[in-house]
Amino acid sequence: MMHTPKNNALRTNYTPFCPWAGILALLGGVALAACQWLIFVYAPVEATLGLPQKIFYLHVPLAWWGMLSFFLTFVASALYLKHGTPRWDMLAESAAEAGLLLAGLALVAGSFWARASWGVWWIWDARLTTTLIMCFTYAGYLIIRRLDMPEMRRNKVAAVVGIVAFLDVPLVYISSRLWSFIHPPSVQLDSDMRLVMWLCVGACSFFWAGLVTLRFSLAATERTLNTLTAQQLAAQSAKE
Amino acid sequence: MMRSALTLFQKDIRLLLGRGSGLVQALLLGFLLIFLFSLSADMATPTTAKAAAAIFWMASAFCQVLIFNTLYGYEEGQGQRLGLLLGKTPPQAVWLGKGAAALVALLLVQALLLPAIAVFLRQGFVALWPQAILALVLANLGGVGLGSLLGALSQGQGAKESLLSIILFPLLLPLFLMGIFVFAAAFTGEHTQEVGAWLRLAAAFDGTFLGAAYLLFPYIYTAE
Amino acid sequence: MYAALHAVTQFYGSRLVFKGVSLRVEPGQVLLLAGPNGAGKSTLMRLLAGLLLPTQGTVSFGEALQHNRQALAYLGHQSFLYPELTALENLHFWNAWEGGKATRSMCEAVLERVNLLPFADEKVKGFSRGMAQRLTLARVLLQNPLLLLLDEPASGLDTQSSTMLHAEIAAAKQRGAAVVWISHHIAHDIALADAVALLEHKRLAFYGTPAEFATRSTAEPAGGAA
Repeated sequence: MMHTPKNNALRTNYTPFCPWAGILALLGGVALAACQWLIFVYAPVEATLGLPQKIFYLHVPLAWWGMLSFFLTFVASALYLKHGTPRWDMLAESAAEAGLLLAGLALVAGSFWARASWGVWWIWDARLTTTLIMCFTYAGYLIIRRLDMPEMRRNKVAAVVGIVAFLDVPLVYISSRLWSFIHPPSVQLDSDMRLVMWLCVGACSFFWAGLVTLRFSLAATERTLNTLTAQQLAAQSAKE
Repeated sequence: MMRSALTLFQKDIRLLLGRGSGLVQALLLGFLLIFLFSLSADMATPTTAKAAAAIFWMASAFCQVLIFNTLYGYEEGQGQRLGLLLGKTPPQAVWLGKGAAALVALLLVQALLLPAIAVFLRQGFVALWPQAILALVLANLGGVGLGSLLGALSQGQGAKESLLSIILFPLLLPLFLMGIFVFAAAFTGEHTQEVGAWLRLAAAFDGTFLGAAYLLFPYIYTAE
Repeated sequence: MYAALHAVTQFYGSRLVFKGVSLRVEPGQVLLLAGPNGAGKSTLMRLLAGLLLPTQGTVSFGEALQHNRQALAYLGHQSFLYPELTALENLHFWNAWEGGKATRSMCEAVLERVNLLPFADEKVKGFSRGMAQRLTLARVLLQNPLLLLLDEPASGLDTQSSTMLHAEIAAAKQRGAAVVWISHHIAHDIALADAVALLEHKRLAFYGTPAEFATRSTAEPAGGAA
């Protein structure tokens, strides 16, 4: 911050940029770059699918952290309803946005994967379907967050949707399993492939955490700004 | 609480069936959807059982959205929602009363949509009567329980119909799949052995969401 | 004591409505709430009705009000009436919702008191503003409450109905009920009051008897209070 205002009313817990977001993003960048080497040099080429199987190392971490994000939204929403603290609400929103991004990318990667493996862009695979349905629900969740209604009401309504949406995950998963009688054959991974997959999932965690932290600090800044504006307006109307 | 819920239910049924056009609108939309989808079939290639079942559940889902928006719309305009919250009656009475009213309305609509399916899409139950009825009940219970929770969120909002649809439809997917599967099986008499698994899934859905909606409803309905 | 506010500070979002307000409502007391527009009179009423939680401070209710669902009645700016229901159906619905067991004849007796009996089976959507306001009053009276919260009950009423309103408030007071009353006709309504509270400049500017209020008003005229 270049100018520190002397006015006490303006002194809030304002942090322009959370240093953790930067550290995590940096770590994530390095780790994901290292993963590229692991994917293309260390891991063997899969016998039946060949090179397109490499999509897998991108698809799995994205799907994983997307789902984990939605789970975080669920937990934060429940905590917000319980305690009413704004930071849980902001965390729920940040996690939902990151989750939607990652899950959306996982769907794109999964679609390429399906095209390369089975010659179609979409298959009724239970995991893929669950990810798609969660994308729909959390997109709806983010629409609610932008509705024009009183702030407290909007936050509570969003929290309820954030909870209900995640409760649906197992049910959607089971129902899409029941729906498609022909399951796509799962890829046989050897130990090296499995190791690389887990390392990719781990590397993606830094990127994901950086994204959520950055979005969270943005939400905190926005909130501070809104409070300051309201205080300013109140001070002005008091003078008049 | 049950007495208050019953009072609200009676009032809403009176308004829904006796006055205003909420239910008629829903019914017309349902008929229209079924008719429009029947255009994709002809004498040589009739609509498949699965497609007919999907069309039925989709029409029913849209009707449900209209019904809930009408029901929660009654408490807009003169601050009636505040009136309902004023006393010591638990807010869940609203969820229960509205849900019950919607269930009755939905069953009425569906009772008229099924003949339309038979006429326009040439599909009717040939087997599994009890299972089909159980599927109808389970799908409606879960749908209405969740709908009554989420119907309250669009109260006082513009573009309510599309808002409620985009939130509700993805969540109801397990029930849709169940309804489509069981109805298709009942239309053709095939794949009957999987029906039990589907019905159990629907029961699990109902248990989860009736419980969750009951607990979460006050947060939505009382929030200012 | 039926209801009391203790050191209540209320924010609406980040806007301060009022701070440090303490007052008590006793059985058989008519408390007149005065103050200019936007002073927070209606907010205070909603706090008493339990529709709002105080940002700071406490709102407490007497023993008599805590277990009786019907003990508190609120008449706000919105009528709570369903336009597609008749006057009688509206009364009956709100009574049953609160757990009351009013019969048709009891509902009709209340409609008689507010001069709406000839319209008992008419749909409310055809009612004029004054008729709707009288029906809202009937809803409150049917409850036979211990604490009446009346937010500008005279709005839309003609002279004859205003007289009826005064008579009903006097009768409620007579049977030991407490009335909190927001009025825009202080000079006219103060005759019925036992206490006056004036909200001004985001605080409780005056709280005392009508006699004290009258001397204060002549000393320093309060803007918008008359």
